[in-house]
Amino acid sequence: MRSRWLNPDRLFLVAILVPLILLVGALIYYPAVNTFQTSLTNQNLRINRPIEQIGFENYTRLLGDDEFWEVLGRSLLVVALILPMETIIAFAAALLLNEKFPGRGLVRTLAIIPWMVPPVVNGFLWGWLLNGEYGAFNGLLYQLGLIQDYQYWLRDPSTQIVWVAIVHTWTRFAFPMIVLLAGLQGIPPELYDAAKVDGAGSLQRMLRITIPMLLPSLAVSLVVEFISAFQIFDVVWTLTAGGSAGGTINPFTKTLMIYNYELVFRDLRIGLGAALSYLILLMSLGVGFFFIRRLYNEGVKSR
Amino acid sequence: MSDFSLAGSPARSSSTAAPKRPREYFRLAFLYVCSAILLFWALAPIYWVFVSSISTRTELYARPYKIWFPSQPTFDHYVELFTSGAQFRDGGYSPTAGLMGSGMRNSLVTSLSAAAIVTILGTGAGYVFARITFRFKGLAFFFIMLLMPLPIWVSLIALFFLMSQAGLIDTLFGQIMIFSTLLLPLGIWLMSTFVRDIPAEIEDAALVDGANRWQLLFRIIMPLARPGMVAVFLVSLLSAWNNFLIPLIFTRTPNSQPLTVVLTLFIGQYEVAWESMAAAAVVTMLPPFLLALFFQRYLVRGLTMGAVK
Repeated sequence: MRSRWLNPDRLFLVAILVPLILLVGALIYYPAVNTFQTSLTNQNLRINRPIEQIGFENYTRLLGDDEFWEVLGRSLLVVALILPMETIIAFAAALLLNEKFPGRGLVRTLAIIPWMVPPVVNGFLWGWLLNGEYGAFNGLLYQLGLIQDYQYWLRDPSTQIVWVAIVHTWTRFAFPMIVLLAGLQGIPPELYDAAKVDGAGSLQRMLRITIPMLLPSLAVSLVVEFISAFQIFDVVWTLTAGGSAGGTINPFTKTLMIYNYELVFRDLRIGLGAALSYLILLMSLGVGFFFIRRLYNEGVKSR
Repeated sequence: MSDFSLAGSPARSSSTAAPKRPREYFRLAFLYVCSAILLFWALAPIYWVFVSSISTRTELYARPYKIWFPSQPTFDHYVELFTSGAQFRDGGYSPTAGLMGSGMRNSLVTSLSAAAIVTILGTGAGYVFARITFRFKGLAFFFIMLLMPLPIWVSLIALFFLMSQAGLIDTLFGQIMIFSTLLLPLGIWLMSTFVRDIPAEIEDAALVDGANRWQLLFRIIMPLARPGMVAVFLVSLLSAWNNFLIPLIFTRTPNSQPLTVVLTLFIGQYEVAWESMAAAAVVTMLPPFLLALFFQRYLVRGLTMGAVK
């Protein structure tokens, strides 16, 4: 008699799902639980002391710490700078690529390239471009007569974060561009024809048809770009963080992820860092669920 | 070339806008100016780092900087990078040759292996999630997909200590495992959408003929979902190659450090000759650049999560 548990269909399921569950369980969920337990302790590898359970003290300490709020504010500022900048550039580029002209395909292909550049290289690239002694940005502005002297673009702490946002925008704008372009191509041309017959000008058509019809695409791109900007790390690391080779981390561009790295892997305050990672997780849940809901609806229904 | 000629080929545009030709020219001119601005913004930084990497020192450090193309282009910096080691400002030599060689090997091994694992497991699981109903399916899918939007620090912190205990810090195998796990959700999601696009009748017919699930997966699904597998493979390859945070945390020595980390070592430890750094940066971004040029269709579909097909 064939056992219900050993029928070939079930074996197939087990063979495929078990490695998957093992990987995700062992590398993601088990450590996540572990990190949570650590966040309730005073573990600090710099200080040789027995590890004590201290409840939620790490959390309250972070929430009462000015540095935490400063870093959080900076992360939100980065997001607030990046999202509008990216969306405007992406929308303009999408409108351009939605027009028919010879060579459009090539323009699209080339415009997407920055998106594929490793973020680490991206940070270096711009670090050199903006270099105060020999950077090409200085060279360009100087030749155009826009500056009299070479500037140290990345030196002023108050504008460093703006440069971080610009550099991140440079790599990421292609994603919203592609999403918005697909949205534009999905608008039925009849809508525009009808509006033209009714005498709507191009501004009116933009406000009454294009923008409302693009809202779903816009939502998708904003959610994905929020996640990407909120978790910014590589670009900051190579552009302004100055944390390589054990150097001190620049406080003026310290975003949440950089701060978390510093707490855990530099200061070795494991308990506090673990608590911070959970606070970051909590703050990301909102957008996270929006993102998941979209995937879920399409991903799980069979046939 | 004819794609770009504006003047001199009036016949081309006549089909679209014969009655008002001057206006059509004006429109095209405007579009090309906009395209030029867009491409300048997108490509100038890349162009310039490439020019830096083939310029001589004297020209590169000239001030005001006015060499937009070197008068004597040279590939010496690349040769130096892989053979003798870059020359520093203070006249010393660094062991860049060894670092670049091992970095490239490590980047290739980790990203190719992770991409292969994600493609294989992702195809199987994508098929399962798209076609088979089983208990807790929704829950399993949810917990896998949760990896994508949420920050991974909650796992990374404890994972670091677990990997140390297992002796997997500073190994290629450890990195491959982490990359594969982090990239699996996207791979599974993409494959499940690709499988869902395949008409189920083909499988039904095979099932009636007595085929089992493995035969369905290998003989029917895999050949038909091949574009999806290519997309998953390329997106995983790109993401793993570009990744920096994982090797930053989980590697210690050139034995396992990929190019992205090697690049940061150059700038941190020494004041490195800029033109050699530029060459190293070009080497690091060359594979993504080529993938972007030749396989863009696959990458875009993969990276936009199927939002754009």
